[in-house]
Amino acid sequence: MKIYDDANIPWICDKCNEKLILQKTNVLYLDADFEVELWKCPKCKMVLIDEELARGKILEVEKSLEDK
Amino acid sequence: MDLDRLLETGDRCINEEPPACTAYCPLHLDVKLFMQEIENGNFDKAYKIMEKKLPFPRIIGMLCDHPCESVCVRNDKGGSILINELEKVAVYYGYSKPKKGFPVPSLNKKVAVIGSGFMGITACYDLIKKGYNVDLYEKNNRVGEKVWELQDKYLTPEIIEQELSFLNDKKVSIFLNTTVDENKLNDIIKEYNAVFIAAKSLTSLYEADECTFQAGNSNLFVGKSNEKSLIFSVSTGRRAAITMDRFIKGVSITASRENEGSYETVLKYKIDDEETTEKTIKSGEIFTKEEAVREAKRCFKCRCRDCIKPCVHLQRFNIAPKSYIRNINHNERIIQGTHYANKMILSCTECGLCGVMCDYDVDMKDVVKETKISMVERKKMPQSAHDFALKDMKFSNSEKFFTYRKEPEKENIKYVFYPGCQLPASSPDYIEKIYKYLTDNINEGIGLMLGCCGAPADWSGQNELMKETAALIKNAWVELGKPTFILACSSCMSNFKKYMEEINFISLWEVMDEYELPKLNASQSLKLNIHDPCTSRNTNMQDSIRNIVAKINCEVHELKYSKEFTKCCGYGGLVYFANREQSNDFIDDRIMESNEDLLVYCTMCKDLFTSRGKRTFHMLDLLFSDDLEKSALQKMPTLSERQHNRMHVRNNLLKNIWGEEVMYEDEKYNIKINDNATAKMEEMYIVLSDVKKSVENSIENKERFFNPSDNSYLTRLRIENVTYWVQYEVNEEGITVTNVYSHRMEVVEANNEDIR
Repeated sequence: MKIYDDANIPWICDKCNEKLILQKTNVLYLDADFEVELWKCPKCKMVLIDEELARGKILEVEKSLEDK
Repeated sequence: MDLDRLLETGDRCINEEPPACTAYCPLHLDVKLFMQEIENGNFDKAYKIMEKKLPFPRIIGMLCDHPCESVCVRNDKGGSILINELEKVAVYYGYSKPKKGFPVPSLNKKVAVIGSGFMGITACYDLIKKGYNVDLYEKNNRVGEKVWELQDKYLTPEIIEQELSFLNDKKVSIFLNTTVDENKLNDIIKEYNAVFIAAKSLTSLYEADECTFQAGNSNLFVGKSNEKSLIFSVSTGRRAAITMDRFIKGVSITASRENEGSYETVLKYKIDDEETTEKTIKSGEIFTKEEAVREAKRCFKCRCRDCIKPCVHLQRFNIAPKSYIRNINHNERIIQGTHYANKMILSCTECGLCGVMCDYDVDMKDVVKETKISMVERKKMPQSAHDFALKDMKFSNSEKFFTYRKEPEKENIKYVFYPGCQLPASSPDYIEKIYKYLTDNINEGIGLMLGCCGAPADWSGQNELMKETAALIKNAWVELGKPTFILACSSCMSNFKKYMEEINFISLWEVMDEYELPKLNASQSLKLNIHDPCTSRNTNMQDSIRNIVAKINCEVHELKYSKEFTKCCGYGGLVYFANREQSNDFIDDRIMESNEDLLVYCTMCKDLFTSRGKRTFHMLDLLFSDDLEKSALQKMPTLSERQHNRMHVRNNLLKNIWGEEVMYEDEKYNIKINDNATAKMEEMYIVLSDVKKSVENSIENKERFFNPSDNSYLTRLRIENVTYWVQYEVNEEGITVTNVYSHRMEVVEANNEDIR
């Protein structure tokens, strides 16, 4: 699943001082396992979830999985 | 969950039982729906409803002797609805040609019908539809002599002819001018699969069963209808046709025939709240459309709504227990797919008012409680619904709050004061005052126990957790020497009653009613409406509260729904967390009912009412507040403040009463939360301690993102089942948190390539 287009985001990794890249990442909830393209630090792999995604799509998917 | 028992409970609900008129109408016309269509000006649809139940509806509509009107519930409130007059207008304004159905293939079975009055032609009508060949014998020279005699301006010969045109079906043979006497009848009986006598000259000669109309075990059926009533004759013809059909097919003619013909409904529609409205007067021979609409509006559309009327939950989901239970049953049975009823089930406050209102012992509180337990057991309970409340309960029973002590210098104590978890969270200052009041008045020794009774576990169906909590309390109680609990919270009381049978308890209000009241700091005579918490239903604390209020000279105006009939504030069942909109419905409904300031004696009731602007006093405000005006609209502390308050109540009491020093952990960083972040924390149930942990982790492990354009940081920390995101700025004074949000989904941070 692709959520972001390749627009820049303002954040860089503070530890590695690296620009974030979009990369396929696994997310888990209850019995579900998805692969989503998310921003992450190419070096330490820390993944960024912004507020819009957390309170939008992610919340929606969480709610629907909870009713499964 | 015992689903059979669940469905039995649903069967007791009479919401779908017909109104008196429909039950009493021997053809069971859906009068309620008919009235609704007339009211909406849909005369064509109203006519179609008649067509569903009545053979030749234009004849019956114009001539029916309407026994329904005698049982109309409107009778005592301005007079029965003029049902038959409205049938006439439905025929007059709403008739359309019936749709031609497919011709029914012949069954090659023959039935003889003797007599072509209303009874005989109704039997013909139904038998033809079922595929029988019918021979109709009539002594006169035309069919339906009676009908022709009754023709008038509205029931013209043309209409009669059209309505009886079903007899032109090729399965029907009509023998006019044919008198059937006993001899001829004997011949006929041999010739046909079944014979129906619908002619008065013959019916008196035979005995027949009252329900099936069968004469003995023969193929002869006798239309005995003592009533001189058109509609009862029609009904007899119809019921006899059912028997003959079953007889010929060789199936039971007696099975499932209850509620055929006229009967009395179990529905007792309550009219106490209804206003009297007089019958509509006809300006002509029949109603004009406007008059008809006005008359149909008088109809109560009777349906049992005893439990729905006072409950905003049943109203929001527009559902009665009967179909609610069907939905639960479905929700429990599906293996794969969406559990659509989850949201509804989690929006019931379990207040029990429906059970009190119901004459048939249908109580959704018990049903919903059992369902929630089953959902938890089957691992189908939505995690997010109650997660915060359960974590908050865990906090309250952790070493941060949970504690118990005997009264200083007393070896034996008779009582232990248990304020619950929400009172110390909302009104921390009162706890020490109450404890001192109790020890001043009672000499037999009073201990103190702080903690949570397990109400959130009970409300969220967490049976195991509830049992663990009860065990925690019981162990402490045994260590204290089994004292009697003095409870300040009605939810605690209901939980003690249910899960801790061996423990004796008494409400704080009963104690206060018995002893001298504390000296009032602020005295003024107030006019109040008392809101009883739903968990106080059927307890004597309701009387104690009223006694106390009388002693302090407040004027009480009782609400319509009070004492046994009280409503929930919107917190019960943790609906406040599971469905905030539904919770707000409850709050607003109660606020609307009250014209004065409210007096409550449950902390959550107070917090919820004031959260939506209602001036509300807690009983303890009247007894202990220094500033009543301030108390009336005191805002609920934030979730973080509530935990903080509990912790301080514990530490202060231990210090002030028992002289114990409590160490506080030093703050590592000076972390401030701005208004935006505070509001978001409340909205998303995020507490300060988790925000602080996230910030600390980000600094110590440098796990954070940096935004060079505004020099802010963004970090995340997974704590139990939630990932918290915190955005903050660092300045000279310390750290300011500017935004927070969270999600439950877990992100796998290791590179996919690494995993493979």
